[in-house]
Amino acid sequence: MNIKSLLQRDSVRTVFASLIAILVGLLAGTVVVVVVGLLNPSISSNIIWDGVRLIFLGVFNTGRDAAGALTFGFNPTFFGNMLFRAMPLILTGLSVAIAYKTGLFNIGAPGQYLAGICTTLFLALSIPTSSVPAWLVWIIAFFGGMIAGALWGCIPGLLKSLLNINEVIACIMTNWLAASLVTWVFDISNLKNMLEGTKTGYIYKTSSIINDIIVDGTRTISGTNLPAGAEVVSTRGGVATDKMGLDRLFSGSQVNGGILIAILLAIIFYIIMEKTTLGYQLKACGSNRHAAKYAGIKDKRNIVLSMALAGAMAGAAGSLYALSGNTEFFWTTYQSLPAVGFTGIAVALLAVNNPIGVIFTGTFMSFLNINGQQLTKMTSYNEYITDVIIAVIVYLSAFMLMFKMWLGRKRKISVSPVREGEVKK
Amino acid sequence: MEEVRPETSEYVIEMNHITKEFPGIIANDDITLQLKKGEIHALLGENGAGKSTLMSVLFGLYKPEKGEIRKNGKVVQINDPNDATALQIGMVHQHFKLIDVFTVLDNIILGAEDTKAGFLSKKAARKKVSELSEKYGLKVDLDAKIEDITVGMQQRVEILKMLYRDNEILIFDEPTAVLTPQEIDELMQIMKNLAAEGKSILFISHKLNEIMQVSDRVTVLRKGKHIGTVNTADTDKQSLSNMMVGRPVQLEVQKESANPGEVILDISHFCVPSKLHSRNAVNDVSFQVREGEIVCIAGIDGNGQTDFIYGLTGIEKSNGGTVTLCGQDITHLSIKNRGNNMSHIPEDRHKHGLVLDFTLEQNMVLQRFMEPEFQKGQFIRFAEVRSYAERLIEQFDVRSGQGPVTKVRSMSGGNQQKAIVARELDRDKKLIIAVQPTRGLDVGAIEYIHKQLVKERDKGKAVLLVSLELDEVMNLSDRILVMYEGEIVGEFNPKQTTIQELGLYMTGAKRQDRKEVEA
Repeated sequence: MNIKSLLQRDSVRTVFASLIAILVGLLAGTVVVVVVGLLNPSISSNIIWDGVRLIFLGVFNTGRDAAGALTFGFNPTFFGNMLFRAMPLILTGLSVAIAYKTGLFNIGAPGQYLAGICTTLFLALSIPTSSVPAWLVWIIAFFGGMIAGALWGCIPGLLKSLLNINEVIACIMTNWLAASLVTWVFDISNLKNMLEGTKTGYIYKTSSIINDIIVDGTRTISGTNLPAGAEVVSTRGGVATDKMGLDRLFSGSQVNGGILIAILLAIIFYIIMEKTTLGYQLKACGSNRHAAKYAGIKDKRNIVLSMALAGAMAGAAGSLYALSGNTEFFWTTYQSLPAVGFTGIAVALLAVNNPIGVIFTGTFMSFLNINGQQLTKMTSYNEYITDVIIAVIVYLSAFMLMFKMWLGRKRKISVSPVREGEVKK
Repeated sequence: MEEVRPETSEYVIEMNHITKEFPGIIANDDITLQLKKGEIHALLGENGAGKSTLMSVLFGLYKPEKGEIRKNGKVVQINDPNDATALQIGMVHQHFKLIDVFTVLDNIILGAEDTKAGFLSKKAARKKVSELSEKYGLKVDLDAKIEDITVGMQQRVEILKMLYRDNEILIFDEPTAVLTPQEIDELMQIMKNLAAEGKSILFISHKLNEIMQVSDRVTVLRKGKHIGTVNTADTDKQSLSNMMVGRPVQLEVQKESANPGEVILDISHFCVPSKLHSRNAVNDVSFQVREGEIVCIAGIDGNGQTDFIYGLTGIEKSNGGTVTLCGQDITHLSIKNRGNNMSHIPEDRHKHGLVLDFTLEQNMVLQRFMEPEFQKGQFIRFAEVRSYAERLIEQFDVRSGQGPVTKVRSMSGGNQQKAIVARELDRDKKLIIAVQPTRGLDVGAIEYIHKQLVKERDKGKAVLLVSLELDEVMNLSDRILVMYEGEIVGEFNPKQTTIQELGLYMTGAKRQDRKEVEA
């Protein structure tokens, strides 16, 4: 098959269009690095060159050699961390993509993500692992988080289907509701990390062990080092996603089985959307709600269902993030909205809302993230340059249709005579 | 009037050898159109034949690749609509360009107002418009608001707008589409008056009756090409339609007389609420449709036909009366359950009929994807969907670029409609509801769809047709019900009535009393 006939295929052109957007974004980042470097006298040309290489290959950076030059190779830690950070991005991207297939713009992923985090933390840290096995607590906490996200997503879905309220506005409102609600709930909860003293701004990790104890007749809590004479009532926590062997593959990284769950969910959604009657209904409602209704498809139910599924994915993102066990939730910052929810929009856009594509674009976004982190660590640049790159890519993904037409322009002309009705005006 | 100079040409407007190309298609291929002073010249062609493009060229909206435009024998450049106006070319669009809340007079002078010291001065304008209205028999109430007057009067306002601007060349784009038979007769008379006063008229239409009645000459376009220009007196409807389509066409539907059997659809005291006002859009409608007959609801657009069909098919809720289909009370059933005995060719094919971004095969199973034939354990059986779509495409001759996987959006209107007809007729339900099934289609496709509906009737189906085209109503139906302001005001046998008679009922000028209707 030659390139010309390959380009005739819609899917191939879509992938190429995404790649062009990515490439132009990276080049724009390069220009910023070079321009900033040239304008700043303290940045030498060597560092500019380092910066450019880190933008493209930061994940492969293995440090500097004795002469101070950057060395590149397979870095299992960075690779693992890239996959770890990709996990919530894939899921929020999936969330936006699913809703989009039904013609809805789910800008509510941050709120659904928070609902997921909050519910998961509560479940994982409240159910005593002394009486319920930790793996079961994990399952309850994970599904609890997904359901919470789904319910939070249902709110704009219901408002849209019953009262025809624009889902974008409802989503933005539920986002801020979630942010305030979660902050308040944690504030009055007993999940603030008291054991490690100063860190009261944090919630316990799900992996921390909390012993509810009675010392001298008073009930209190303790870590693993029990005070003398303490009677343990119950033990909570110690719940974390299984590493599933990934820690051996990517030693020194935070990666766990969550990434595999995210990929699995993406594949499941691909199958639902492309192969099942449910996907057909959702897409029919998304493309033409009136025609779907006329054909006897329950349009209102499908709108709510679509938002619930989208919310479940954003909820799963928050849930798996919390359940990774080694991340701490600094609750007071959540009076603002988590960026990962919004980055999901870019992930979905770049993947043209294809669930399988989301796996790759989500990973790519976290690839940029690690590159930015290395840029900060190894040079005097700061990581905000990666934000510039992401911004350019998001901007360009809006032009992707244009790229696509440009790639297939020869074909367009030879097909168009069929469309005689189009000639008018 | 300017002094009469020796004419350099007998034509007031000549469009010579106009060629206009769009990427991949030649919309106008070497078209010559010559308009004589004082004649009514009809421009005839199917959808997509290039009529609109040609008029857009004359109006300066498109620039032709080749060709020239002459006025009174002199070559002119028309670069934008202002140039066209300066050359005294005016147009009545199919959809009027009027401001609803302005008065008739305000609409006429809009854009050409007289002012005195910066203030609007309507006195002279009122006098001029009154004179024009008198002279050409264009009766209008100058102080009425547009929203309060009839469509026919709105059209007269559009004509007065052109006359007020002293236009000499008047273009009418499908002017009769929205009019009642009586209003059409009036318009024909007005056009003749205008021509007699020396105005030159270009009349765009695909209705052969009107062209035969009013025009002096006819230019026929087909697929962007100039097929011929003939004197109306030397031709007839059949040969004009053959020129337009490029093959012999049956204008009259061939059908045996109906043999009505059992009652399929029984509607009793049916009401549907209006979205616009507190009265019912459909009020106390009762009738029956039997197997083996085509019953047609005729009426002017907006008299409740659409609401009635929405209520009947379950798209909107009804608020009174009952609907019985095949012995089952379906008044409160869901759309899906009604579909067990009913197929529906909807009025708005883009809104209700098709998912334009789906492929042809996906659209073919829009109602049926849940049936065991097309799904197993909620997974779509793609091979079955494909072969089903291929069979329908073959059987109903649906033409498209890539067969079953063509995006429906890229298909022509006629083939989109054929796809819907194929899907609905193949579902093989006892009742077929067809709402304006031929709107916007060309003669060939109309002929085809009419034949299909008659074929279904002969198979013993009950067909309920809603149409605004009286030719279609007279041609196709076995019984005609006229709907006016949401009520059935008369029932007719097409063989024993005339279009004029129907027109009186459609406008509310006459009505049969209820007993007479129900009998």
